[in-house]
Amino acid sequence: MIERKVTVESKVGLHARPAALFVQTAAKAPMEITVAKPGGIPVNAKSILSLLALDARRGEQIVISADGEGAEQILDDLAALVAEDA
Amino acid sequence: MTRVLAPVRGRVVGLAGVPDPLFAQAMVGPGTAIDPVREPGEAVAPIDGRIVKLRPHCYVVLGAEGHHGILVYLGVDTVELKGTGFELLAAEGDRVVAGQPLIRWNPAEVAAGGRSPVCPVIALDAGIEALSDVAVPGDIECGGALFTWT
Repeated sequence: MIERKVTVESKVGLHARPAALFVQTAAKAPMEITVAKPGGIPVNAKSILSLLALDARRGEQIVISADGEGAEQILDDLAALVAEDA
Repeated sequence: MTRVLAPVRGRVVGLAGVPDPLFAQAMVGPGTAIDPVREPGEAVAPIDGRIVKLRPHCYVVLGAEGHHGILVYLGVDTVELKGTGFELLAAEGDRVVAGQPLIRWNPAEVAAGGRSPVCPVIALDAGIEALSDVAVPGDIECGGALFTWT
């Protein structure tokens, strides 16, 4: 399993626009992708419902995980989205 | 199948009537929107279920079967109000029935502050083809039939 630990920089947290962009990006990848708060239960990164329920706020860390062909690239893309104040 | 009720009284305008591309372009998901009457009122649960998220400006109710989550926003950019003018009438984790008041607010005040009080009602993780019987543009009562999610 490959992981990226990243701090949420959007001032609204991983909600609204950042959440929608995150899910749209994750959904393009063929493999399973999960997102969790450190030590928390991983949820489906392709589900907007899961992301809203996760409620990651600005300044909080999340861990994004995936496996398989192309996982490095998709995790880099997702981490970049989370790390920008969009 | 989930029957989704109007969380507020007003006029159905569709997602195209939301002055925010995030909703107007259905980036969050399919659904519709209601331009609420400009008077103090209560926003209610659109379905039976459990409140998984409750913020002053938005909430998510997850249906009993666990996979139909409905997101309701109370106005555009109302997150900036940081809760001022919104009174929570329930709590995250609460089991609620459709029509149960969740937030007291005043769309007229939101509009007076220069923001749109239009309320998007979104089916989360749904494809557009999953929605049917979407209310046609026009007046709708709070608790009126808004759309069906199959």
